[in-house]
Amino acid sequence: MADTYDVIVVGGGHNGLVAAAYLARARRRVLLLERRPAVGGAVATEELAPGFQASTGADVCGLLRPEIVDDLNLPDRGLRLLALDPEVTAVGDHTSLRIWRDVWRTQAELITKSSRDAEAYPRFTAFLRDFATALDPLVTMTPPNVAAPTLGEQMGLLRRALAVRRLGKDTMQQMLRMPPMSVRDFLNEWFETDLLKASFAVDALVGTFQGPFSPGTAFGLVPHFLPAVQGGGWSFVKGGMGTLASALALAAREAGATIRTDADVRRITSTDGRVTGVELSDGERIAGRAVASNADPKRTFLHLIDPEELDPEFLVHVRNFEMNGVVAKVNFALDRAPGFPGASDAVPAHFRICPSLEYLERAYDDAKYGSVSVAPFLDVFVPTVIDPDLAPTGKHVVSTLVQYAPYDLRPGNWEAEGDRLGDKVVGLLEEQMPGFEKLVVARQVLTPRELESRFGLTEGHIYHGEMTLDQSLVLRPVPGWSRYRTPVEGLYLCGSGAHPGGGVTGAPGYNAAREILADWNRISS
Amino acid sequence: MVTAAYLARAGKRVLVLERRHVLGGAAVTEEVFPGFKFTVCSYVCSLLRPQVIRDLDLPYHGFEVIPQESTFQPLPDGRYLFRRGNEADAFQAIAKFSRRDAEAYPRFGRLMARLAKFIAPTLTMTPPDVGSLNPADLRKLYALNRQVKTLTEEELYTFARLMTMSAADYLDEWFETDALKAGMCSSGIIGTLLGPRSPGTAYVLMHHYMGEIDGAYRSWGYVRGGMGMVSESIARAGRSFGADIRVNADVRRILVKDGRAVGVELATGERIEAKVIASGADPKRTFLKFLERSDLPADFIRGIERFKIEGSSGKANFALKEAPSFSALPGNGPQLQGAISIGPTVDYIEKAYDDAKYGDFSHRPFIDMCVPSTVDPTLAPPGKHIMSCFIQYAPYTLRKGTWPERREDFAETVIDTIEEYVPHLRDIILHRQVLSPWDLEQMIGLTGGNIFHGELTPDQLFFLRPTPGWAQYRTPIKGLYLCGSGAHPGGGVMGAPGLNAAREILRDWALLRV
Repeated sequence: MADTYDVIVVGGGHNGLVAAAYLARARRRVLLLERRPAVGGAVATEELAPGFQASTGADVCGLLRPEIVDDLNLPDRGLRLLALDPEVTAVGDHTSLRIWRDVWRTQAELITKSSRDAEAYPRFTAFLRDFATALDPLVTMTPPNVAAPTLGEQMGLLRRALAVRRLGKDTMQQMLRMPPMSVRDFLNEWFETDLLKASFAVDALVGTFQGPFSPGTAFGLVPHFLPAVQGGGWSFVKGGMGTLASALALAAREAGATIRTDADVRRITSTDGRVTGVELSDGERIAGRAVASNADPKRTFLHLIDPEELDPEFLVHVRNFEMNGVVAKVNFALDRAPGFPGASDAVPAHFRICPSLEYLERAYDDAKYGSVSVAPFLDVFVPTVIDPDLAPTGKHVVSTLVQYAPYDLRPGNWEAEGDRLGDKVVGLLEEQMPGFEKLVVARQVLTPRELESRFGLTEGHIYHGEMTLDQSLVLRPVPGWSRYRTPVEGLYLCGSGAHPGGGVTGAPGYNAAREILADWNRISS
Repeated sequence: MVTAAYLARAGKRVLVLERRHVLGGAAVTEEVFPGFKFTVCSYVCSLLRPQVIRDLDLPYHGFEVIPQESTFQPLPDGRYLFRRGNEADAFQAIAKFSRRDAEAYPRFGRLMARLAKFIAPTLTMTPPDVGSLNPADLRKLYALNRQVKTLTEEELYTFARLMTMSAADYLDEWFETDALKAGMCSSGIIGTLLGPRSPGTAYVLMHHYMGEIDGAYRSWGYVRGGMGMVSESIARAGRSFGADIRVNADVRRILVKDGRAVGVELATGERIEAKVIASGADPKRTFLKFLERSDLPADFIRGIERFKIEGSSGKANFALKEAPSFSALPGNGPQLQGAISIGPTVDYIEKAYDDAKYGDFSHRPFIDMCVPSTVDPTLAPPGKHIMSCFIQYAPYTLRKGTWPERREDFAETVIDTIEEYVPHLRDIILHRQVLSPWDLEQMIGLTGGNIFHGELTPDQLFFLRPTPGWAQYRTPIKGLYLCGSGAHPGGGVMGAPGLNAAREILRDWALLRV
C-alpha cells in the first residue's frame, strides 16, 4: 500500500487503453492492469498456427473515433488501416452482390439485380448518412442527467434536435419513425433484392440476440453510416487488430501510464461506499483514488465489487442487463488461397453468407429456443488477401463470425457443440468454395464460452451487453447510471457496457476519462 | 358514429352511411343462427373513453357493462391458473405456482396503472405535428414535455423501457411462473403481427391497465346485449341529436373538386353532397379505393401504401348445446364467466407467431375465449351457450392456398386446440362461424383483416399515424377527415379517434375553413 495511483484501470481492452492514455495525458498517475499476457482484450492478433497470425476477436476497424486517432497520434505509433473495397461481397444461393465504398459503383452493380433498387440506393445511403451525421456528436457525449439536466445538457440535446430538424420536417419525421422499426420493415420500404436487404440486415444484427423481424433492429444500421465509417471506411488493421492495441498502449505509456500484464484483478476494494483500490489474484493490493473498470457491468458489479456496497435495487437492474451472447468465431489457417467460383474467382477479403431476410430470421428462431442455428449466417474475413504478411507466402488466414450461437444452450453444452459448430462452418464454406476443407491446416473454434474465458466477456457478449434501444443512452447499463459513474464513489465504468456501447469505437473510454477528470476535485479530496 | 354524434350535438346536419345492414362495423351483435346472438367480431369492451360515455350519455341509451374480471388459463398438465379481480383471490391463485410472483403481482399492477394513467390523456389529444414550427404544434410539444416531467425519474425509465422491450423480457424481470407470464404477455400481442419476444410489446401490456383507472365508469367487461349495444347506444345518441343514419348504403367514391371533398357517390350511382366528409374506413380504403390517385400527392400515397395493415387474427363463434367443461376445472363455474386464455407458455405463443412469420396460420394458436351467455342469458336459448374465440395468429396473406380454401382446416385446427382442454367440444357444437382475416375484410371492410385498421407499432402511432405529417385527422384533401382507428390513437373499441376527429372538424368550422 506504499504507492497510491490516481487511477487504476481494470482491464486493458481498447477502451481501457484509451481511458488510460487520456488520463495519463492529463497528468494523472495511471496504472492499467491486464489479466492476459498482452493488452487489447478482444482487439487482438494471436498466432493460429506457426506462422499464421489472426485477429481472433474483432476483425475490422471502422468506428474508431477520429478524435482519438488524432489526439493519440495513432498512425505514428504503428496504426495502418487497409480499407476494404468492396466493403463486402454478399453471397446467396448461386448469386452474389458487391457493396463498394463508392455509392455509384454499387449502384452500377445493383442495376443488374433491380433497377428500382439501383434508383433507391443513393437516396437510402444519403438518408442514413444524414441521420448518422446528425447523431454523431451523441457518440462522444455523456448521456444527460435525466433527473436534473444542466442547461448545457439541455442545449446539447436541443442542438441535436435542431440538427435533425434542419434536414427538413419530412426527413425529421422519417428519422423519428425509423428507430423502433424492424430492419426488415425498413429495408422492405427501400429495396426488393433479397441479398442486398440481407447484407444490410447483417450489419444491423451482428452481435445482437434479435432477428431481422424484431422491432428496433433498424436503428442498428445507423452506426454503419457514421462519419468515421464514411471517412476511412471499414478497414483491416495492418498486422491484425493487435496492432491497434499496441499503438494505444504505446500512447498510454508515452504519456506516463504504467501498464502491467498478467495482473489479474480479483477484487475492487472499497470502504464506506468509496473505492480504495484493487486486489490481484495473488493477493497483492494496490491503492488507487479512482478505479475505472473496463470489465463489463456484470463482471464489475457482480464479481469485482463487494455486493454490500450496492443497493439491492441496483443489483436487480444489473442482473437484468441483457447480455446473452450469440456470436461464435471460427478461425482457419489455409494452405493456399481457396477458389471462389461465385462472383469473381479470387476470394474476396470480406464476404458474408446471408441469402435472405428469412434465412436470417430462421437462424434467429433456433437461438430463441436455445439452439445453435441450423443454418447460421457467416461474416467471413480473409485478411491475407490485403495483408499477406499475416501468413507464410501463398497461405491464408480466414476468420469467421458465426451467428446465432447462443451462450445458453437449452438443452446441450458447448463442450459438445463446439466441434459440431466448427464442422458446420466448414460445411457452409465448402459449399461456397469447393475444396476448402482440404486446405485447412488449423482450425480454432471460439464458442461464446471461450470468448468469455479468453477475453473475459461475460456470457460471451461481444458488446458487453445487448445494444437494443432499452439498453441504450440513458438506460445503459442501468437506468440512472449511464454517466460512467457508479453507486460506489470513485468507481467508474469505461468499457462497452457504458454508452455508446460496443464496437471498436474507443468512445466509452474517451468519455469516461473526461468524466473522471471532471470529478477530479471530489476524487482527490 | 362517435364523430357523427358529436357533430350532430354541435348542431351540424349529419348523415352516416353504412354499407352493411347493421351498424357498428366490427362492434356488432348478430343472430347468425336462430336464437344465438353472436358478438361477431370484437368481444369485450375495454377502452371506451369515459368522456364519450359521458358526453353522449350512453348509459341512458342502453349501454351497460357487465364487468369481466377474471382470467382462466387451463394448462396442458391439468393444472390451471385462475386469476380473479380481487387481490386476495389473485394472490391465492398465483401463490400455488410461486409465492414470489404472487407478491409481485399487485405491485406490477399498480405500476402499470400509474403509467397508464399518464398515457390516458394522450388518447384524446390531437397529436402535434412534430418538427412543425406552427405555434399550436410547438405549444402541444411543450405541454407534452411538461406532462413528461410529472413522472418521477424511475417512472420515466420504466416508461422508456416498456416502449422498447418485449413483453416476455419485461415480465421475466418480475415473474418466474411461465403460465402467469404467458397469460399476461398475451395482452401485449393481441391484434399485432408480433410475438411476445418482439421488442415494443411490453408497452401494450400497459394499455391493458387503462380500463382499470377510468373510475366511475368501470369499462372492462362484456356489454349487455353484446358489443352491438355499444354501436346501438351511440346510434341512439346520434339520432337524439338529429343525425341521419342510413344502412345498406355502400359508398363507392369520395367526390373531389379542386382539391376539396364535395360529397360521395354510392354503389347505386346516387350522389350525396356535403361540406365535410369524415371517413371511418381505414386509411388504405379511404385513400386508395375511394379516391383517385391523381387527387393526392405522390409522397402521401407512398406513405399510405406502406402503412402496415396485415391482419393477424381470426375469430370463431360457436353455438353450444351446453356449457363447455374444461378438464382442468370441470363444470359451469365462475371460470367460464371471465376471459379464458389458451396459451400456456411464452414459448407456445412465440411458436404460434413463428408459423405466422412465414405465412401460415398457427399450428397451435393462442386463443382468447369467452362464454358471454354465462353472464348474459339473453344471448342464447335457455341452457344453451355461445362461445366467442379470438384466434391468433392467422395472417391475412397465406403462403400456401387461399383463405376460402383453407378456412375449414383453420377451423379444425382451432377446435383441435380447444379440445386439448375441452375434450367434449365437438359433441356440443351446434353451429360454428369461422372468420379468417380475409372474411373480416370481405364482411366488414377491414383492409387486410386488421382489427386495428393498421398495426399498432411505434412507427405508425401518435404523430406518425397513419403517415408522418397527417396525424391530425385532416388529409391532403380539404374537407376530408379520418375518424377511424387508422388515425391516432388507433384501434380498440375506444371511440377516441371519432371524438378527436369531431373536435378538429368543429375547430376548422369555427375558423371558417369549411
